[in-house]
Amino acid sequence: MNFALSDEQQLLRETARGLLAKECPISLVRDHAEDPSSAQGLWKHLSEWVELGDGSLVDLCLFLEQAGEVLAPGPFFATTALYRPLMAALGRTPAETGTIAAAGASGQWPFTGAVDGNRTRTFVIEADAVDETAILVPGPGVIVTTSLPARRMETLDTTRRVFEIDVPMGEHSAEPLSPEALRDVLDRGAVALSAELVGTARRILDMTVAYAKERVQFDRPIGSFQAVQHKLADMALDVERATAAVYYAAMTVDADDPDRHRAVHVAKAAAGRAATHAAKDGIQLHGGIGYTWEHDLHLFMRRAYASEYLMGTSAWHHERLADLLFGTAG
Amino acid sequence: MQLSWSAEDEAFRAALARFLEEHCPPEAREYTRHPDVDAPSILPEWAREWQATLFDHGWMVPGYPPELGGRNATPVQTLIYLEELAARDIPRSLHFPGYAIVGPSLLEFGNADQRAMAPAAIRGDTVWCIGMSEPNAGSDLAGLQTRAALDGDDFVVNGQKVWTSYAMVADKCMCYVRTNPDVPKHKGISVLIVDVDTPGIDVRPIRHITGPAEFAEVFFTDVRVPRANLLGELDAGWRITTGSLAHERGGLWVGGVARCRATVDELVEVAQRRGLETDPGIRRDIAAVYEEATSLWALGHKGFAALSSGPSDGAGGAPEHSYMKLAYSELLRGLFEMGMELEGPFGAVTGGDGADMVWWRRFFASFAGTIAGGTSEIQRNIIAQRVLGLPRGA
Repeated sequence: MNFALSDEQQLLRETARGLLAKECPISLVRDHAEDPSSAQGLWKHLSEWVELGDGSLVDLCLFLEQAGEVLAPGPFFATTALYRPLMAALGRTPAETGTIAAAGASGQWPFTGAVDGNRTRTFVIEADAVDETAILVPGPGVIVTTSLPARRMETLDTTRRVFEIDVPMGEHSAEPLSPEALRDVLDRGAVALSAELVGTARRILDMTVAYAKERVQFDRPIGSFQAVQHKLADMALDVERATAAVYYAAMTVDADDPDRHRAVHVAKAAAGRAATHAAKDGIQLHGGIGYTWEHDLHLFMRRAYASEYLMGTSAWHHERLADLLFGTAG
Repeated sequence: MQLSWSAEDEAFRAALARFLEEHCPPEAREYTRHPDVDAPSILPEWAREWQATLFDHGWMVPGYPPELGGRNATPVQTLIYLEELAARDIPRSLHFPGYAIVGPSLLEFGNADQRAMAPAAIRGDTVWCIGMSEPNAGSDLAGLQTRAALDGDDFVVNGQKVWTSYAMVADKCMCYVRTNPDVPKHKGISVLIVDVDTPGIDVRPIRHITGPAEFAEVFFTDVRVPRANLLGELDAGWRITTGSLAHERGGLWVGGVARCRATVDELVEVAQRRGLETDPGIRRDIAAVYEEATSLWALGHKGFAALSSGPSDGAGGAPEHSYMKLAYSELLRGLFEMGMELEGPFGAVTGGDGADMVWWRRFFASFAGTIAGGTSEIQRNIIAQRVLGLPRGA
């Protein structure tokens, strides 16, 4: 397996890094929590990159990892990671922005193909701000609608807005989708979310390492103490291995490799664990300043935990992985 | 990024597979899974013959030229070689010091006579041990005290080495000694090539927690070593401590990670045999270690790709690879512990009908991985300081 980036991929990553650092400062992320329209300027730039949702998952992950580092808000994730792949599977021309409504009342994403028959769809990302919402229904099938009443769900994460909607029963006909095609769409989405998560985790690690070098107690930087060094080494290991797991999964999805379902569960669990680990120890190592609203760190912790719980928790992905390892699925 | 290598590299893989099929002795296949612990020798004859066969066919150290047991393989091909051996659990050699450390050190630091000793070290014709650790110099290796004082044309060596692997079967020892006690500790160390049968050397095997003895204490009492046996410059031995196969540095992790992945597969089998595949706690534990083993495998490959383009970790490896030894040795120990636990009360059985349940022995032996070659605690210091750039402690 060859992890080397092509020249185009390196350029893509550097472009994404530069663009997001410039156009998505933390002040924008904070403003967006009060007024979502603050992210409209950012969307003008990101909208030029939505076709990443149609191509190589590795390429999309390279972009989203950078988006996760800066907690980029707005419809880019839902459009590229979820909506456009589903439109491609249906053979439909996508609108400019879109999202998908997959989880039922339980909040569980239907990776197994068993879509909730209940009327409620939960954790629908950016539902009030996108052109189209694609609703998964039992069959499985998909109802694509242009506007629906959406009720905001208040979550930990002020940087990603999620909503509850009702399935418009009887008003629209559902387009059929094979369980395999649904699985492929959701696999892509889970790996894409994992790429964002490792970006967020790496940013927390970088912030904490920088703080440990600069904060002086007992006449020396706290980063010179082994108790601090060992925590950071373990945090960095988790971030590194999760990053590798994400790109391995992306490669298997791109290649339609037989290992891809296992690799997707591994990626989401590794990324979720790395991000929540980094968030916990990151706040701890920052000490009192990390406990303040004023410091940015809690924004990253909020994103880390909310994304860990979105599209299957680590424990849930471990359980599905166990099904595949033991042959106990179905 | 892509899952497969070039056609040329895949042809290399196929050629290796054919060679192994044809020449590899049965004792070497699945070696660590069924170790012959009752073997009369820690260096059985089949293992010596196998190492020589690999050398003669250019499969011992593929990155070397044919006269050194290789075939001028590329880094990618070397990685493929290490992965194919590891996948079959086939060891190249049962004594790593000679081919992995001594051979490369002789070639890099030796004079013409010393370089000429390298092929025999790599082929295994000469068995080497390495005298590094001492009772008071473990993790703090530079604090070693074994003294070598010049007396005419000889060094006179006095002191004690410990944890010296293979000392009781070795012909020669690459020995780290203090030649200058009056300078900072890193600057007064030299390396001597010592014949183990020299008068004044006393080798006493040390029994392991697993039962048998694989390493020894080595005592030196007025041992005379010719000055010509100095390797490299006088008092400049510390730089030789980093000696290892430079072109295999990108794949040092391969064996350890392959053992982790194979062991996870075994745990799945044991859980099924014990009827535990529906136990929620065990399912999650096994899924979690599968996640760790798979992601480490991916990290090893990611680091390999970074070697050619990215920054170094200061020791010739990729930053990613600084994590590997810590991660796989800790994971492997946990896997063996999990194996004992899956066997229930039989996890503690060492004889009779339960004697095939070797988890306890592998668990005990796995501490070698988390202690030798830099303990896990030292590995974390190295990651913190060399990779993350944190300041050294006071």
